[in-house]
Amino acid sequence: MTGKKMGIERRIIKATWGYNGNLEPLYEVEDTGDEIIVTFDLPRVKREDVEIHTTEDTLEVTAKMTEAVCWERWGSIQRQISFNRFRKQIKLPEPIEPDKASASFRNGILRIILPKKRNKVFIPVQ
Amino acid sequence: MTMDTVRIMEEEGVTHKNPIVIEGLPDVGLVGTIAASYIVEKMKYREIGYLESDLFPPVMVIHGGKLKSPFCLYGNEEVVVVSSEIAIPPNAVYPLTRALADWFSSINASLVISVTGLPVKNRIDISKPEVFAVGNSEEAVNRLKEKQVELMEEGFIAGTYAVMLRECHKRDLCAISLLAQCFPVYPDPGAAASAIGSLDKFLQLDIDVGELLEKEEEIKLKARDLMRQTALSASEMQKSAEQDMPIMYR
Repeated sequence: MTGKKMGIERRIIKATWGYNGNLEPLYEVEDTGDEIIVTFDLPRVKREDVEIHTTEDTLEVTAKMTEAVCWERWGSIQRQISFNRFRKQIKLPEPIEPDKASASFRNGILRIILPKKRNKVFIPVQ
Repeated sequence: MTMDTVRIMEEEGVTHKNPIVIEGLPDVGLVGTIAASYIVEKMKYREIGYLESDLFPPVMVIHGGKLKSPFCLYGNEEVVVVSSEIAIPPNAVYPLTRALADWFSSINASLVISVTGLPVKNRIDISKPEVFAVGNSEEAVNRLKEKQVELMEEGFIAGTYAVMLRECHKRDLCAISLLAQCFPVYPDPGAAASAIGSLDKFLQLDIDVGELLEKEEEIKLKARDLMRQTALSASEMQKSAEQDMPIMYR
């Protein structure tokens, strides 16, 4: 049982690419208090080829590469594999307001600002 | 030989003439690793040895059908480059730095230079990363001043290079760290190019970093998995302390 569980966990941790041509990008999530800022490293990608979708608690990024990455003579079973896009779905730590989200892309770095859903109430100090 | 020992295995017939050591082990932005690999490739340094330890993961690398250790030593009589293709396990940092410092001392290294990154939040806004330095002694600081490398005056440093400075100091070895502003968790060939620029003030190898910058995207893609492993190791090495402010009263 332990072996099976370990196997599943290992696959979850190591699944950074798929046989469907998708490569998982490196990313970073930062919580600034009022916002969640997510950045992605997307080499070989142009701004117009980036697609971002959000819900209140998920963020999905798909980005087509200008040139596919091809790994050859690699591994014992998988002799050749190529990737032509990045894809990553992230479960956000807190609900956000999708309509107020914004994104910028510069030098291969995608930065998405997701304002948190908040019902702020002012409390006067007596 | 205890289980927590790191052994330096040198190729037969290797000689040293007070070499300068370049330590480019994986750290933030993989600055040292990218810089070390580029230098080894450009200078056509040959493999002169490798490192082994029970503390390292049971991993070997295959290149061109040849089996290799992921922890390798390259160089010639005057230069030694220490590099790794896998992340340093946090529990190996102290034995590794002690073993390396002992070996650097035994080969009479004239200077040990750790090349690494200094994570900065606004890296995206920086076109040419600056390089800061830390020396482990008055002599080291004077050498940095002589070469006009900007010194880091206050702050925390964490990770392999931080321990390396101390271990070298204990053995009266002159050691410095060159820290190029970098992305914390993305491979940063731009930062590696800046670091090579500063490194060259000591080595005078006249290395052109043009190709490194041209191949930036390819390098980022190739280094993706090592960066991921390194970021996981870094979280256990208190690397986040490097962005903390030290207490101002001394």
